Amino acid sequence: MENQPVVRIQGVSKIIGGKKLIDSLTLDIPSGQVYGFLGPNGAGKTTTIRMIVGLMSITEGDILIQGSSIKHEFEEAIGHVGAIVENPEMYKFLSGYENLLHYARMSPGISKARIMEAVELVGMEHRIHDKVKTYSLGMRQRLGVAQAILHRPKLLVLDEPTNGLDPQGIRELRDYLRRLSREEGTTVFVSSHLLSEMELMCDTVAVIQQGRLIDVKELGHSGKADGPGGADQIQETVFEVNAPAAAQDLLVSLGFSSRAEENGVILSVNRTDAAQVNARLVNHGIAVYGIRPLTRSLEDQFLEMTGGGRID
Amino acid sequence: MTDFFRLVQNENMKIYRRLRTWIMFAILLALSILFGVLFYLGSSGTMQLTVWDAVDQLSFLYYLASIFAVVIAADSVASEFTWGTIKLLLIRPWTRTKVLASKLLSVWLFTIAISAGFLISNIAIAFLLFPNEASMLFPQGTSPFTSIMESLMYSYIDLLVIVVFSFMLSTVFRSSGLAIGLSMFILFAGNIFTMLFHPNRYEWAKYMLFVNMDLSKYKGGALGPAGMTMGFSVAILSAYVLLFLVISWLVFKKRDVAA
Repeated sequence: MENQPVVRIQGVSKIIGGKKLIDSLTLDIPSGQVYGFLGPNGAGKTTTIRMIVGLMSITEGDILIQGSSIKHEFEEAIGHVGAIVENPEMYKFLSGYENLLHYARMSPGISKARIMEAVELVGMEHRIHDKVKTYSLGMRQRLGVAQAILHRPKLLVLDEPTNGLDPQGIRELRDYLRRLSREEGTTVFVSSHLLSEMELMCDTVAVIQQGRLIDVKELGHSGKADGPGGADQIQETVFEVNAPAAAQDLLVSLGFSSRAEENGVILSVNRTDAAQVNARLVNHGIAVYGIRPLTRSLEDQFLEMTGGGRID
Repeated sequence: MTDFFRLVQNENMKIYRRLRTWIMFAILLALSILFGVLFYLGSSGTMQLTVWDAVDQLSFLYYLASIFAVVIAADSVASEFTWGTIKLLLIRPWTRTKVLASKLLSVWLFTIAISAGFLISNIAIAFLLFPNEASMLFPQGTSPFTSIMESLMYSYIDLLVIVVFSFMLSTVFRSSGLAIGLSMFILFAGNIFTMLFHPNRYEWAKYMLFVNMDLSKYKGGALGPAGMTMGFSVAILSAYVLLFLVISWLVFKKRDVAA
């Protein structure tokens, strides 16, 4: 059971007015992950998410959630899902608590205690009885998270959840999602076009463009921000120096295959060698200003894959 | 089934936790009091109104109850789309059919609440201001209460039809403004249409909605124009209501929720 994908998107297409918005998309979302869904604007992220939660009909194919078809067994399938689709819109004339009560009534077996538990998890206990119209966007977002997790869903679907949030709000949201995934084993499926966000948040990202899946990438940091690389891992490393040409000559004479750039040299070394290279350079009177691994950010990779994100 | 009533409970919460709803009740009550007092001041000597005369006279305000019910019905589905809350409402373990049914039921309960509130407040005002004597307006030997209830029943059916119409427009266009506007148009322009296309002149006209809406013309077993009967009108109205409901249901069930 552990390895059974929570969501199975099977050959799904969406055609509106003769235009294929999603083109036979097939994707499995493994259990327990924070799974990112990435693509330029208009790539079909929101359309896909709306099909997963049953807000939009599926033209071709099917989507299974915990083995139940969203098309044919909607009530069964959607029971496993909690979602925020774009901004969490709430009933402004009701209090935060009444909003949660409203959604709690719609799912089986949610006690008042569980509502308060969700309130506490998002840190809203002091304002929960105030009307939603007095809330800031950040507080509405928290309430949105609370309504999504009330029924302890197996799958949490978030569409552009960081839109309009300030850096602190984004940080908080990220922390909730990580905690949910770690502590409750919730699978999180999150769409965004904010690459740096996704990089920090996700275990795996799927990239779509023009309604087609173009890549699935494991980020493999499992939440640690220190990035890849141990002492023995060989990485492309940049040495910023005052005289790149001289440094290049020296390194070639030492048997490294390096290349010179405007501000320094780049070569593939592990950490031990990097320290030695540094010592050599300094011994030969070359000033070293900085040493850093040359990592391509998700953004670089993304732009490479999507060809700069053009819409055509 | 008990679970379904939790959905209705939700819809009721969304109606009655809004200040607007209570303002509607307050306006209706205030106007009943105002006109009650005006009738009281205006009636004297030979034209002394009694309790049931007053209740009967006040019932013209029921138009306002119809308007308020139309507003509630027009908002029921459309406002969920306007607020964007529809996205959170439809991702619960309930089919769209059941969600729509709960909305319809809550609107229907509101029509009962506002009609009952209206009747009770009118009777209370009448008993406070007017003497409980034999009526001037109602013929001897008939029960004024029965007669008033019969008229109110016809008005209530009128209200229900227009409310379902409004509910349908709300679902189809997702715009409460359009739904309210068109329903009001039907409510007030119905008589003009009936005059223009009178069943006596056009055979097909007796199948029009407007011509059948006012059932009070059959009071006392009277026949309508072109041989129309109460049973005929009730059948036509039922067919229209059914049609409105089926359209609402189909549109709501099939609609892609975007934006």
